[in-house]
Amino acid sequence: MKKIDCLGLRCPLPIIRISQEIDKVAVGSQLILLSDDPATWPDLQAWARMTGNHVQQRDTAEFSVVRQNQSGLNGH
Amino acid sequence: MAQITRNFTSERPLHPKAREALQSAFDQGWADPRKVSHQSSKARALQNEAIESLGQSLGIPAKKLEFIGEPRLGNFYAVAGLLRTGDILIHSSVDRNEVLAIARSRDSHEIPVGLDGHINPTSLASLASLASLANLDCATAVLALQIANGETGVISWYNEIISQLPSVSIACDFANAGIGAPLPDRWDSAFFDSKSWQGPEGLGILAINNESRWRNPLPHLGPKRVPGSASLPLIIASAIALEATASDALTTHNRLRELSAFLRQEITSKITHCDIAGNLDSSLPHINSFSFLYVEGEELLRHLDKAGFAVDSGSACNAEDLTPSHVLAAMGVLTHGNIRITLQESTSKEDVVELVRAIERAVAELRSR
Repeated sequence: MKKIDCLGLRCPLPIIRISQEIDKVAVGSQLILLSDDPATWPDLQAWARMTGNHVQQRDTAEFSVVRQNQSGLNGH
Repeated sequence: MAQITRNFTSERPLHPKAREALQSAFDQGWADPRKVSHQSSKARALQNEAIESLGQSLGIPAKKLEFIGEPRLGNFYAVAGLLRTGDILIHSSVDRNEVLAIARSRDSHEIPVGLDGHINPTSLASLASLASLANLDCATAVLALQIANGETGVISWYNEIISQLPSVSIACDFANAGIGAPLPDRWDSAFFDSKSWQGPEGLGILAINNESRWRNPLPHLGPKRVPGSASLPLIIASAIALEATASDALTTHNRLRELSAFLRQEITSKITHCDIAGNLDSSLPHINSFSFLYVEGEELLRHLDKAGFAVDSGSACNAEDLTPSHVLAAMGVLTHGNIRITLQESTSKEDVVELVRAIERAVAELRSR
């Protein structure tokens, strides 16, 4: 499982990074995002709603992102 | 050539009629209305006239109004004045920081809101049982009820909420709504900010409806409900601004609602991945909050400023403590890339068209980096 390390980066950078990486993996694949910015979790959930992907918080600074959007319109 | 900045922030200049009256208010109303002198009795007459006028415009008897020189403290008076030791404070997750601060200092219950910024009915059901529990314990509950949210403009379904909580005392926050929403069917205290009707800054108005319940929450001697040091000229200017604003409020609201609908339609049709906080149908007509995915709020603000447009932002990069807007986060709306566009009475359709063009350019440039 690929880990995207965004520790120390401020939003929207972690969301931009995950959107760039998610288009490179197949539908159903999972990525792990590491981020300690307080805006990441609310923004990751909003991003998932807007782009049709699935996210989950695993730990304070660790998030699971599953590609569900098939059209590759994650947009960045 | 000097840059002309078009104002889409929440700040507005003083109403022209209030500005016009302010000089003479300072000339005529400088004396202490409580003292015995010719000038003081003149000041007293001006004060009574202004308070009567404010009461009439707000639909509240003048004797129930108090004036506070620090508006944010006024909200504290409204809420804390109803609370007794052991009472539970109920508030929503999108309430203002001043209320959240009171909540942290005592027993409290936070009600979540949905993506539309409204408290959902299932939360209300659990709230009703909480309120009855409070009654069983001989304590009571006080609801801090924000009538309209300042960041999103969403007007709460306040009469519906109040009707579900018959035994709870209600402290209403009209600071953002001003005269844009009628008084609730039942309320115990309310707070208004003169700024909301283009009156002067630095004047809060506290209305005490339930005089047997409300008590001055700050240490005090004597029967005075508030310090009473608010500036009389500002009270006079506020009354004039309210009278002027109220006279064409409906026309202004309808025009701004139409303009906001146009703005929202233009933005969503021209820019992808945009999150709008709250539905216009249940919001103040002039507040619009947009969040653009993959865009940094502060950069967007700078681009717009360079293009001659001043707007506000709720994004973390603009906050003093670098935390995202608790309002947007509680709603589940994207917190980065956020701008708040407040339409003014003077905003034209052309202004909106040009603003949208500037936003479109700025978002495209920032996303291409």
